Amino acid sequence: MRIEKCYFCSAPVYPGHGMKFVRNDCKVFGFCRSKCHKNFKKKRNPRKTRWTKAFRKSVGKELTLDYSLEFEKRRNIPVKYNRELWSKTVEAMKKVESIKNKRQARFILNRLKKGKELEKAADITEVKKNIHLIRAPHAGHAKQLEDKMVQKLAEDVEMDE
Amino acid sequence: MTRVRYVFRPFRVLCRGVACAAIMALYNFKKIMVVPTAKDFIDLTLSKTQRKTPTVIHKHYQIHRIRHFYMRKIKFTQQNYHDRLSQILTDFPKLDDIHPFYADLMNVLYDKDHYKLALGQINIAKNLIDNVAKDYVRLMKYGDSLYRCKQLKRAALGRMCTILKRQKQSLEYLEQVRQHLSRLPTIDPNTRTLLLCGYPNVGKSSFINKVTRADVEVQPYAFTTKSLFVGHMDYRYLRWQVVDTPGILDHPLEERNTIEMQAITALAHLRAAVLYVMDVSEQCGHTLSQQLELFNNIRPLFANKPLIVMANKCDVRKISELSEENQKVFTDLTAEGILVIETSSLTEEGVMQVKAEACDRLLAHRVDTKMKTKKVHDVLNRLHLAVPTKRDQKNRSPFIPEGALLRRKAMETNAPKRKLERDLEVELGDDYTLDLQKYWDLMNPEEKQDKIPEIWEGHNIADYIDPEIMKRLEDLEQEEELRAKAGEYDSEEESEDEEMKEIRQLASQIREKRKLKILSSKEKDTQGSRMPRTAKKVERATLEKEMADLGLDMTDKDDSHYARRSRSLVRKRKREVSAPPTSRTRSQSASRPPRDQSGVRDAKMLKKVKTMMKNSQKDMNQQGRKGESDRHVFDVKPKHLFAGKRKSGSTSRR
Repeated sequence: MRIEKCYFCSAPVYPGHGMKFVRNDCKVFGFCRSKCHKNFKKKRNPRKTRWTKAFRKSVGKELTLDYSLEFEKRRNIPVKYNRELWSKTVEAMKKVESIKNKRQARFILNRLKKGKELEKAADITEVKKNIHLIRAPHAGHAKQLEDKMVQKLAEDVEMDE
Repeated sequence: MTRVRYVFRPFRVLCRGVACAAIMALYNFKKIMVVPTAKDFIDLTLSKTQRKTPTVIHKHYQIHRIRHFYMRKIKFTQQNYHDRLSQILTDFPKLDDIHPFYADLMNVLYDKDHYKLALGQINIAKNLIDNVAKDYVRLMKYGDSLYRCKQLKRAALGRMCTILKRQKQSLEYLEQVRQHLSRLPTIDPNTRTLLLCGYPNVGKSSFINKVTRADVEVQPYAFTTKSLFVGHMDYRYLRWQVVDTPGILDHPLEERNTIEMQAITALAHLRAAVLYVMDVSEQCGHTLSQQLELFNNIRPLFANKPLIVMANKCDVRKISELSEENQKVFTDLTAEGILVIETSSLTEEGVMQVKAEACDRLLAHRVDTKMKTKKVHDVLNRLHLAVPTKRDQKNRSPFIPEGALLRRKAMETNAPKRKLERDLEVELGDDYTLDLQKYWDLMNPEEKQDKIPEIWEGHNIADYIDPEIMKRLEDLEQEEELRAKAGEYDSEEESEDEEMKEIRQLASQIREKRKLKILSSKEKDTQGSRMPRTAKKVERATLEKEMADLGLDMTDKDDSHYARRSRSLVRKRKREVSAPPTSRTRSQSASRPPRDQSGVRDAKMLKKVKTMMKNSQKDMNQQGRKGESDRHVFDVKPKHLFAGKRKSGSTSRR
């Protein structure tokens, strides 16, 4: 049993799910759901359909070139079963997965940093321009004046004394 | 003595090679048209004339028309007779045109003279009919009334029919000939043939049954086989004909009957290998010497043909069991150079040997004959046999690997080599499970029964399998360490100070406030007339709340200008008469009841009033009119009411 990749959106297709289409040139296309299948039949290019992984990778939104991604690769040379190797592989797989996820997350985070800067700048300009919507310009002035007067009086009183 | 004819006659139908012999070589006796009896013939033609020619004629028609009408009938009848008779004449083969074998055979079976006579009679009849028609057509020119023409036609037709009635015998004979002809076996005179001959009941038909797929009747009485039979067999990738003949008795040619003559014809004309069958056991009813006599008598027919003598029925008696004189017969034959083979059709002993020998000899004979003709050199000139020359004296024998030799040896013995799965299944009965994993060839055989994991958390384990995976994992982990050390994975400190936080909060408040304002402005009613802002009375509480939200201090505002009433409550008790109200202030105008509520007693009446208002306005609204006085018609003559045809419906709406 193998988990295939959907041709259109690159999602995992578990056994018993999705559809397969075999073309006359013997190329097999697997789809995870009818959405991808219908898009394929409409001759849409997955590299141009924004919600697919293929688009995201081609446009640089996701991590593409990384050593951790080279571990999961379909190899054409079969390896004879060897308990030791298999158990080691399962262990290694777990570790590789964790590292891969970390790196992918970090990649996206770095990409989004610029947005944060822009957000910050936008907030500052917003406040500078439109503070009048929540705060009257002379809010608290009366109080201040009063305080000032009180202070002055107090000073005067002091001075008098 | 029959003359043996070897002159090769060209066929009317071209036959390319021997392969298509069966169908194309002959006149195609199967395709001869059915010859009707005289009565049928006449009926047929007359009814055809009746149907296919016009039937209506009146005496008041013009005479040329009447004449033409009857002439047509005569000619039509004549034409029909002529066509059919010509067809018969062409279909039946001319004895001179076909292969002499068939010519002789037909002579034997149907008598050449009678056949030719019959066909001649038909020909004469045809000519007579033509003449009759010609005459009467000529006479028709002188017919001057309908009655006369009709009589002429009647006479003509009558004469033609009488002519044909006289051919009754010929037609019957020809029909029988046709039927018999179509049933003749298709013997190709040119291909490789084996011919069986001998006394009746010696075992010729049994032999042909054994060797070919033919199914000739075999019975204990003599002359079971009454005509020639053909069977086909394969030898050396070639097709061979085997011809079975009726038995021949020993008397001179003139006294032979039809059945025997067929055999003689075959012997005479077919270029075949002759298998003379002798009955060693004398069960056929004739002694060996009689058979030998016959053999010598028909010896001349065997000239230029490969000959084999079959000593048949050797299961009953072998040659060695015979008496001296009889054995001498055979030794004589062998001495003359004729091959004698002991056979038995019952036990199939020697049958294959005979077949092989006969075929080989015939092939050799045919090749010889061909070599003697002139045409051979054309072929020979084009043939060249290339033989590779030996390079050196090294012996290069074929190499057979050991495994193949062992296997060949193993194949010869019948003992099974290993325990099959099926045997195991039978042994274990119900407990049997098919476990193909035990055949696997692994490095550690004890792992054969392991359940191999395939999937983990959405990933295929098979994609990760790599003998060097541990090394690569190490590299990866090192890389990761370096990265972590370099600080890639350090979480972003909240480098935002209090100020920034405050700014963010303010910004979000501002955005929220703005959205609310936008929403409230969207809820405005822009359809109706727009009242100025000052028309609404502003509540003190809302004003104070709003300002407080904006951060101003709104406590103790009783003395403010907005809180003081212009015509304040102070003056409530005493109303001064002297100073009448000069102008209505905002507050007073606000206290008047609105126009749609003035004069209305209660809520029920209000509702009714409102409904009445709406009803009266409904029509006008539907017509898009502003009010009662709006009489403007936007489209005086709409096109859809003034164009088009007057179909069903009135013109007001069409």
